[in-house]
Amino acid sequence: MSQTQEWEASNAVRLTGRQWIGVGLFAVVLFFGAPRLWSRWEKLEFEPDYRVPHSLGSDYWIYRRWTQIAASNCDVMVIGDSAIWGPYVTRDQTLSAHLNRLAGRQRFANLAVEGMHPAALAGLVEFHGAAYAGKKVVLQWNPLWLSDPRLDLRETEFDFNHPQLVPQFSPKIPCLKEDTSHRIGNSLERGVDFCDWTNHLQTAYFEAKSIPLWTIDHPRENPLKPVVMLRLPPSDDRPEEGKAVSWAEKRMPRRDFEWVDLETSIQWRSFRRIVETLERRGCVVFVLLGPFNEPMLKDGSLEAYVKIRGAAESWLKARNTSFWTAPPLPSEMYADASHPLSAGYLHLARQLAPQAFFK
Amino acid sequence: MLFHTWVFAVFFLIVYPVYLLVRKNNSLMNFWLMIASYAFYGWWNPLYLVLLFGSSAIDYLMVLFMERSQTRRTRKIWLVISLVSNFGLLGVFKYAGFIVDNVNALLTAVHAPYAVPRPDILLPIGISFHTFQSMSYTIDAYYRKIQTERSFVRFLTFVSFFPQLVAGPIERASNLLPQLQGTPVITRRDLVDGLSLFLVGFFKKVAMADYLSIYVDRIYAHPEQFQSSHLILATFAFAWQIYFDFSGYTDMARGIAYFMGFRLMLNFNNPYVATGLGDFWNRWHISLSTWFKDYVYFPLGGNRGSKWFTYRNMVATMLISGVWHGAAWGYVIWGALHAVGRVVTRELEQTAFYRDRIPKIVKQLGVFVFVGFTWIFFRGQTWGQSWLVLSRMFTTGWVNPQFPTAALALIFAIWIYQFLYTSQGQGKSFVEWAPVRVGLALAMLVYLAVVAQPGSQQFIYFQF
Repeated sequence: MSQTQEWEASNAVRLTGRQWIGVGLFAVVLFFGAPRLWSRWEKLEFEPDYRVPHSLGSDYWIYRRWTQIAASNCDVMVIGDSAIWGPYVTRDQTLSAHLNRLAGRQRFANLAVEGMHPAALAGLVEFHGAAYAGKKVVLQWNPLWLSDPRLDLRETEFDFNHPQLVPQFSPKIPCLKEDTSHRIGNSLERGVDFCDWTNHLQTAYFEAKSIPLWTIDHPRENPLKPVVMLRLPPSDDRPEEGKAVSWAEKRMPRRDFEWVDLETSIQWRSFRRIVETLERRGCVVFVLLGPFNEPMLKDGSLEAYVKIRGAAESWLKARNTSFWTAPPLPSEMYADASHPLSAGYLHLARQLAPQAFFK
Repeated sequence: MLFHTWVFAVFFLIVYPVYLLVRKNNSLMNFWLMIASYAFYGWWNPLYLVLLFGSSAIDYLMVLFMERSQTRRTRKIWLVISLVSNFGLLGVFKYAGFIVDNVNALLTAVHAPYAVPRPDILLPIGISFHTFQSMSYTIDAYYRKIQTERSFVRFLTFVSFFPQLVAGPIERASNLLPQLQGTPVITRRDLVDGLSLFLVGFFKKVAMADYLSIYVDRIYAHPEQFQSSHLILATFAFAWQIYFDFSGYTDMARGIAYFMGFRLMLNFNNPYVATGLGDFWNRWHISLSTWFKDYVYFPLGGNRGSKWFTYRNMVATMLISGVWHGAAWGYVIWGALHAVGRVVTRELEQTAFYRDRIPKIVKQLGVFVFVGFTWIFFRGQTWGQSWLVLSRMFTTGWVNPQFPTAALALIFAIWIYQFLYTSQGQGKSFVEWAPVRVGLALAMLVYLAVVAQPGSQQFIYFQF
């Protein structure tokens, strides 16, 4: 069979060089233009005490858009994990919301994301946090991630959120299970607007599934319909709705945590990376150490915790980074080990507001 | 290492520039391609390399010995050693478990108080492909159809050439070795053709095969929970899944080879527009069909005899083809069904009524339905499961199969495209019209970029 016959037989879509150049140009326009065009169609406007909805927790495109909006409307960015995001409270009961009420205006933006391990938060700040360069940033240090070697990502058998954001190759994260190809993909794709946008479409409109999988689960539905409706989920969906009671009411036992060594901890190394990244970008950083439900700790565990917290304070002091160690809140203000209830956030906000950084 | 993964992209970005630099020095080019191919194969499991090297080395030596042999008898001895070593490898790594299972079933049937322990052997990916490619060299050398390859490195490259190593096309020495002996010329046309082939292959695999596999896997995982309509749709979807999966791999392999200035043989030619079973096998996995034709069917006598002699050879070839695919009775039945189908359609094609009165489209749909039906035995995990699927297909009710309309629309769009492409009239002119081709390329690109998510799902044929 001649080459031409083979082409005819193979049924491939054969293009000429010029046609390929045209297709390439279209691809470039799509790559750069589609996310921008989309952000004009899909409305995401500044709302009081907005936070990225729970269901969009891994939608880094929407996160990036929110950071841009927040950075141009608020003075202070509050970043962290669920302890800042507030899974047990409505969006107007979070720390940033209480701080806003005390300030009398929308000064503080809630830029926290649920389930964000510091290793992932470092990636979130690095790849998606450029919009708040030069701003004031409140960064929360949640000791919970040090309370167990699993939570410190040291053990191989542990599923954690946002694996795309953690270092893929070096330093090694033992519990990152992705194969080499996915790691390369994660390294190359993160922070790329187009990739984040396609992920956004899936997360926001297709129940965080790939579109083919969504059509399998919704065989008769038109896959274009949810996209055309352009309706983002409300920002107040929260996973722990209905469980906003204190840990004592839930009858949670006192715990004896297996604290990990700070110096070898992945959490601590990542946390330092966040501080360094923010400061390198000209942010004025204020670290909020805690709060942590100390009454929940058994005596030996409390001692170890205080020691770890002291070491963290020493590091921050040595590099002249502003910080404040949250005194323990009344125990009934905690929903669990690290998440305050609304009263806890208010209590904390009242203590923070007089600090020079918050004026 | 899969073509549609990032790790392959990185691999190719390293291999290709070096290849371009060294390709004018033949020894260096072959050495580099051999290193790259071994790295490609060893990525799955470095132990596979021992087998690949071992079987290649034996075949290389046997052909050298054949060349030095004075008599036909001694040449035959070297050929037999080569065949025994290749079939021995396949026997141990691919069929040992199957043979032991059947021996044990027999022992149980005769109440023998003994069971042969089942060997726990890892099946190397694509073992049937590279052993068959290597064997074709020794057989052709035995019949003096090709010249002996003196360079060991070049021979290793021929057997392990990474674009087609694990799932074909099964290249012949007469096609690939001469290309490895010269300096590959890479024209601009090769580059754009390679790109076109790769895009189509990538689309077939990522957008279609992996999509359909979601539905097929759900249904075939628990056929006892589903009704007739689900099972029929899942089998229909599998027919397309396996086509997209395998032909997608081949398209990508051929596209990559084009980038490097090599031509690999055509492996698929719109098989689901075939008008008969013989026609189907001239369009499906062409490199394997022609392998069996050349090395099994013709040596058995081919059609140089009575009708029944021809049919005997056809049946034997199809049964062996079934066994080639895997060590399970399902594949044997699949091969047997195709053998029967080929005999029946050949008989039908000899009648004027069938030839002239039956519309082409009816024949095409008939072939598709038959081939789709046989895939049940190919897809079923066991013979028992295939039987369960088949029996439930005819004994359970018809409910909404929950098959995605989007997938159905895509399949039918592609099927219609293939009908138009293989037609001789205005349909073909339409799909060959430049705006249509560019539009299709754009549509595939947008679909791949926005809708489909490249994963790392294996190709079905790797297991063979």
